[in-house]
Amino acid sequence: MTMTAASPARHHRARSDLSRAGRGLFLAAASLVFLSYVLMPVAWLVSSSFQSEREIVSKPPHWLPHEPTAQNFSAIFFAGEKAVTYETRRKGDPATGGFIPSTAGNLLPSMRNSLVVACSVAFLNLLIGVPAAYAMAKVRFRGRQASIYGILTTRVIPDIALVVPFFLFIRNLGLLDTIWSLIITYLAVTVPFSVFILVSYFESLPDELDKAARVDGCSRWQTLTKVFMPLALPSLVAVILFAFLASWNEFLLALMFTQTPKSQTLPIIVASFTSDFTISFSFINAAGVLAIVPPVLLALLFERYIVSGLTAGAVKG
Amino acid sequence: MASIRFKDVTKRYGDVVAVHDLNLEIKDREFVVLLGPSGCGKSTTLNMIAGLEEITDGELWFDQQIVNALPPHRRDVAMVFQSYALYPHKTVYENIAFGLRMRKLAGAELDRRVRDAAAKLEISQLLERRPSQLSGGQRQRVALGRAMVRQPSVFLMDEPLSNLDAALRISMRAEIKRLHTEMQTTFVYVTHDQAEALTLADRIVVMNDGLVQQIGTAHEIYERPVNMFVASFLGNPPINYLKGEMTRSGDELRFRRGQVDLAIPPALAARLNGFKGSQVCIGMRAEDVDERGTPAPGRAISGRVTSVLPIGSDQFLGLELEGEELFFRVGKDLRHATGETAALAVDVNRLHIFDPDSGRSLLW
Amino acid sequence: MTTSAISARRSRVMPRLSYDERSAYLFVAPLAAVLFIVAVFPIVYSFYISLYNLKLTRPRSVPFVGLANYETVLTSPTFWASVERTAVFTVIAVVATSVIALLVALLLNEDFPGRRVLSALLLIPWAIPYVANALMWKWIYDSNFGALNGLLFQLGFIDNYMVWLGDAKKTLALIAQAFVWKEVPLAAILLLVGLKTIPADLYAAAKVDGANVIQRFFHVTLPGLQSSFALVFIYEAMMAIRHFDLFFILTEGGPGNASDVVAWRIYVETFRNLSFGTGAAMSYILALATLALAYAVIRAMAQRI
Repeated sequence: MTMTAASPARHHRARSDLSRAGRGLFLAAASLVFLSYVLMPVAWLVSSSFQSEREIVSKPPHWLPHEPTAQNFSAIFFAGEKAVTYETRRKGDPATGGFIPSTAGNLLPSMRNSLVVACSVAFLNLLIGVPAAYAMAKVRFRGRQASIYGILTTRVIPDIALVVPFFLFIRNLGLLDTIWSLIITYLAVTVPFSVFILVSYFESLPDELDKAARVDGCSRWQTLTKVFMPLALPSLVAVILFAFLASWNEFLLALMFTQTPKSQTLPIIVASFTSDFTISFSFINAAGVLAIVPPVLLALLFERYIVSGLTAGAVKG
Repeated sequence: MASIRFKDVTKRYGDVVAVHDLNLEIKDREFVVLLGPSGCGKSTTLNMIAGLEEITDGELWFDQQIVNALPPHRRDVAMVFQSYALYPHKTVYENIAFGLRMRKLAGAELDRRVRDAAAKLEISQLLERRPSQLSGGQRQRVALGRAMVRQPSVFLMDEPLSNLDAALRISMRAEIKRLHTEMQTTFVYVTHDQAEALTLADRIVVMNDGLVQQIGTAHEIYERPVNMFVASFLGNPPINYLKGEMTRSGDELRFRRGQVDLAIPPALAARLNGFKGSQVCIGMRAEDVDERGTPAPGRAISGRVTSVLPIGSDQFLGLELEGEELFFRVGKDLRHATGETAALAVDVNRLHIFDPDSGRSLLW
Repeated sequence: MTTSAISARRSRVMPRLSYDERSAYLFVAPLAAVLFIVAVFPIVYSFYISLYNLKLTRPRSVPFVGLANYETVLTSPTFWASVERTAVFTVIAVVATSVIALLVALLLNEDFPGRRVLSALLLIPWAIPYVANALMWKWIYDSNFGALNGLLFQLGFIDNYMVWLGDAKKTLALIAQAFVWKEVPLAAILLLVGLKTIPADLYAAAKVDGANVIQRFFHVTLPGLQSSFALVFIYEAMMAIRHFDLFFILTEGGPGNASDVVAWRIYVETFRNLSFGTGAAMSYILALATLALAYAVIRAMAQRI
């Protein structure tokens, strides 16, 4: 009798240990699968960027570089010093000859343009979006409901549809080929989503806080700056992040409005390499790696703000 | 100086009328309680005093000044909220100091006032903590401190005790009363709890559905309610209503309903002179009965006991008669069982008589 | 009359803007200005252009043609062919994104060590520019030296390197794959948020009722995710319909017109054929279609809630 009484308990414990191990294994396997899905293409990009032109055309490909070289990157960073001429290309100078484009020198300046534009847009998004979002979330005024819907509908129109009028508008203002054209248009394109994030977050903050602040002596502006903004920090970071990334990554409008390296942004320069068949892929990949480093770093650093900024109030506790 | 006057004030949200034609005068240093069920308009009224709600029609006066258009941060009012609404990102000290800083107070004077208020509320040891680290009772005191420290002309409180447990509620009630005496300021207090109203108020404003039902002292409202709503809102268990007929039997006025036959004392009967109808609704408060001895005819009711609920000092007795279930408070020594018949003496001098159609009291 | 009486009269007769309303309008004004100038105005202007026969190849002659441009576009077989391709692309993209994102969200919803790291890394595709995404896949799909060829060759699935992007039958699917790879993180986050709002009590109740994992998934999880799915569908569909960058960099509408979608068509018409009138008309048709789609899905979703 005692034997049969003891064994079911032991059997059950063994079963749950096994299922827990099984669950762990399953989760690990699933994680591995998705991690590979996400990281393998990028890893291959990075690996290719460290391979020379000679190595990159191996069949089958060298998954890890057998002779890693930084020549692609040095071509980008030192492009100003080493001019690419017919002579250097003919001689096959690995730094500038071979398959490195003469426009390599445009890459770094374009990165600077992208940086200036992205930072300005992020800042302006906050400047314009935060007061508006506070008003829409906490103040009762005529037209409040309509403005919330109106803002979202401006983004239903595809960018393509806006290109022609934007183009004519920017051209008439004489802003073609300046970074201002990008700042203004990117602002219009990013601010609706920013306001959406901010309004959601503000709405999740208690109304009574707003009332307490106003009774305590705060004007509407002071209520916003002294009470709500400190509390809405995650959403502010999320807005900066989204606005920065959207601006950094944007392609179509930059294609339309910029014509010379004076105002061209990183995606444009990188794209110009891919359409030139004489340029080596190892170089293009290096350019690609440079293009992805800043946004990926930002995203990794501020990852938790992305989720918390988006999910204000949706998850209680 | 801070007297408050509502003159024909109405508050509308679109089609919904939250407060209808409010006329109310609150004297300086008075403790007024706005009492009523949820949705009656009491919080809206409080918010109008604070300036947190726009006044749709009518005028709101602070002393000799119309303040309809004055935003809250320019009114000298302080408010304590049901959820305390403490600033989560500030310490207790900063929470209390915030209102003073907004009014450009600083340095030693600010520090002194904050610490004085904290000492009075016995929260001095909490000054460096954050609200999230405090218990409900402690948060409530910080909220009180934040309002007190500004020494405002008007002190507003919106159901500040609802989120506290029963024992704390009772001790805080006493403290709030004490605060009022010390501060010598006008207090306007909103609650749905009639016990709070009865213990705290100089005057009570009973509201229902956006309309003021009655304004008066606790005693006036309890003893002489002007309608059935007010009578039933105060008193625990609530007043018992019984509809029936008023008949003249010689010189006497009697109330009849089935087996129930009560003699109306001449003092009360005299007040009924104007009343032409014969159908009335009488109200018997739960405590206006006596279970001891044998009740006299014309001063008694009897029925079947439906429940006996001891609550320590008394018992609640449920009595069924004429198809209605009535509840009374009787002494703890009463020994009746469910199903038995019981007879109770009714103090007919304390009967309330109402017009069953309008609900209005026929006596006051 | 005393001043208070006068102002009392005024407040009843002339409803001025309250302090709150004044503040609100001030706060919203910059936003309204930006959006009006740079969003509302172009939309209106674009419609205006679509009513004219504006070709930059002959800028002097700009006759008003009313809705003729719309007629030209709507009767053009090239246009409808590109609409069909857009639809195919969109369906593949939305379905693939939703399925993969759901799996990712389910995984992230579980608690296990390293989950935070995983969710951070999974954001990488979302963070990178479309251009970088495009060139990365262009390199992978390359017919001569690409990694896809190399991998399949090494694993023995193919004997020789194949043409990928250049194969008209595969183009749309391959571009869709590149698009999906980049969209999955955001869709996964949206679904993850939805997953977290499903009350744990529902799962407990289902377990007590005897439901196993699969059944709980179909009877608790999927229904609870309805509104999240609707959001993901609308958003991804809108992104897919208007997507341009990948088409520009990977295939330029080719090979032939295998990847000639509406967004590409508009670009060609406006900036290569320089026919702004018809380009604008096409954009408008696309915009209206997107609006109608979003409206339809929102209506359907609103009825379910």
